Amino acid sequence: MKRKFTVALLATAVMAAAAACGGGSESGTEAGGKTKIVFSYWGSDSRQKLTEQVIAKFEEKNPTIDVEGDFSDWGSYYEKLATKVAAGDAPDVMTIEIRGLAEYAGRGALADLTGKVNTADLDQQVLAAGQVDGKQYAIPSGVNTFAAMVNKATVEKQGQQLPDDKAWTWDQFIETSKAITEKSGGSVWGTDYNFNPAFLQVFAAQRGEKFYDNGKIGMSADTLKAWWGIHQKLIETKAAPDAAKMAEIGTNVEQALLATNTGAYGIWWSNQLGALSKGSGQELDLLRLPKLEGAPSGGMFLQPAMHWSMSAKSEHTAEAQKFVDFLLNDADAGGILLSDRGLPTNAKVLEAIKSKLTPTDQKTLDFIESVKSELSPTVVPPKGAMEMEDILKRNSEEVLFGKTTPDAAAAKFLQEANAALAG
Amino acid sequence: MPHQVSVSPSPKQVRLEPARPVGQHRGTKNAWKRREAGAAYVFLAPWFLGLIAITVGPIVASLYLSFTDYSLLEEAQWVGLDNYARMFTEDDRFLQSLKVTTIYVVVSVPMQLAFALLLALLLDRGLRGLTIYRSVYYLPSLLGGSVAIAILWRKIFGTDGLVNSVLLWFGIEGPGWVTDPDTALGTLILLHVWTFGAPMVIFLAGLRQIPQSYYEAASVDGATKLTQFRHITLPLLTPIIFFNLVLEIIKSFQSFTQSFIVSNGTGGPVDSTLFYTLYLYMKGFKNFEMGYAAAMAWVLLLIIAGLTGVNFLMSKYWVFYGDTK
Repeated sequence: MKRKFTVALLATAVMAAAAACGGGSESGTEAGGKTKIVFSYWGSDSRQKLTEQVIAKFEEKNPTIDVEGDFSDWGSYYEKLATKVAAGDAPDVMTIEIRGLAEYAGRGALADLTGKVNTADLDQQVLAAGQVDGKQYAIPSGVNTFAAMVNKATVEKQGQQLPDDKAWTWDQFIETSKAITEKSGGSVWGTDYNFNPAFLQVFAAQRGEKFYDNGKIGMSADTLKAWWGIHQKLIETKAAPDAAKMAEIGTNVEQALLATNTGAYGIWWSNQLGALSKGSGQELDLLRLPKLEGAPSGGMFLQPAMHWSMSAKSEHTAEAQKFVDFLLNDADAGGILLSDRGLPTNAKVLEAIKSKLTPTDQKTLDFIESVKSELSPTVVPPKGAMEMEDILKRNSEEVLFGKTTPDAAAAKFLQEANAALAG
Repeated sequence: MPHQVSVSPSPKQVRLEPARPVGQHRGTKNAWKRREAGAAYVFLAPWFLGLIAITVGPIVASLYLSFTDYSLLEEAQWVGLDNYARMFTEDDRFLQSLKVTTIYVVVSVPMQLAFALLLALLLDRGLRGLTIYRSVYYLPSLLGGSVAIAILWRKIFGTDGLVNSVLLWFGIEGPGWVTDPDTALGTLILLHVWTFGAPMVIFLAGLRQIPQSYYEAASVDGATKLTQFRHITLPLLTPIIFFNLVLEIIKSFQSFTQSFIVSNGTGGPVDSTLFYTLYLYMKGFKNFEMGYAAAMAWVLLLIIAGLTGVNFLMSKYWVFYGDTK
């Protein structure tokens, strides 16, 4: 009698534990005749709201599909995604960004979307940025470009002329920034700066070099040193704040000099114009980045803001494809998302939503249109490129904090970066 | 061996014993005991399952993974001791993280313990409202490891932060403390010292255990307060100091949140706040080198175990257990 009781108790305990382990991780099960797919993405609260709206719209049009949004903030996104993929629990539709693409595609986590989703209306050159080894593993959700920004009112108030951005050089940029800081008595900085690989990519192109070449770093040590030279000159002439102040601002748009009206120029992604303008409350404009004298090309390029991709192990490919197709080609979806994930490259969607875009977005759209003919092709960073931002930032800071010489840092960057790419 | 760590060396220890059932005959006692043991295992079963599934299992798995090249997205490949070898021969950042963490532990732990002891001594003088003070000073310990405080720290020590605002009154223009590679680690050390509450409470309990009669006898003999502290308080407190020391060293080697938040997850500027666990995390989740990260975790375990062992060996020479002499 007692024995039976013991066994029963044990059995209950085991079952309870098993149930606790099993719960919560079921994806793709069918509930009420609906097929469930999971869609993972990162972002802010406002993006979550927009995404929920888009999902609702999709479900309204496809009543047999149930899309579950799997949302997290950027800081923990890849950590969560990698864990899920490793556990065989990958979301059916995944948002990834350009640096993660080769990483995930190269490790067999993504499905080839060639011919499975309608891409006819998309900008074909940008579409190529979603390809790895000739296969369309991902499709850009929209584009941004890395550009200069200006608060025209501030520039004029400090008695400086607005530049002709088709012709301005880095020297002129430094010169006018320096003058602004001086004239304002230090209350306004001429410009900010950053160590974004996109910035270096543009600069390298102006010297006729590629950031990545055949899965290796294609830049010379001299290019790196010249690039740091610009930063050093900006700091030395007080055209821009010192490295500690810039490290503090980091990529935090709300604290940017332009957003707090303590700077005249800035270098940011075009999609950040909205947030910067909002912070500033004043009118900001986009400009081409300055060039090196005699540069073969301006070096600016379109970068996919992020990509839609599908898990290679999805059990509901048809439904997942339908959802990706909807996100890319449906004017209703475009009308909800607008420029949240970059400006859409789907010509038809763009036409339909143009009037709904905010003035800043329209400005960005016009800017991109006007520079389009000068742009360099978009590149897919090779596997291992996710580390590039860290490696570049670290070595740049070592130089600008005076912890090492540019020569040593350039050698170290090339060695570390190539090691990361060799993976 | 007198190496057992004990917070309360009081002789009046309560012994916990299962209450004996009333009216049982001696003969049935064994059978009853067996049944009782059986029931105990049943009730422990969920905990055992948890231990195996959530603790022991992953530990064993991580040991295996530490000998592999594992990217999380692909199958693990056996590489033998490669990860361990790479750590010490090729990876400058690993050595940097070890250096940063060591400086952090060596500087902050003694400072924190000294501060905790000082406050415990002050609070032990029979202040009115002692419980309130005790709670107030304990608060930082509860909050110190939290994300909110780390963010607050970033603000306080920022270029336009509180510290620099105060310095400005004296005409000093301070640097961006958390973003200057020369001072960033210092702010994290300060944050750790500030969380002195937990050791302080333990010190307070220890101070309470020292019989008042020793002090009375000493003051009759004309000993000053300082002499009393050196010859009565300190020796009798050594087991508590030892306990706090071991605990805090282990804890601070595993610090993560502070550097993760204060440096925005980069260990920067220029790797000056690259804690060991932060680098481990970066390797595992950002660089897809989970095997390497697992190997780092085991090296950390060995380091901590080694240090704790050395600590126990050294304790023979300075820790005084009143009841064993």
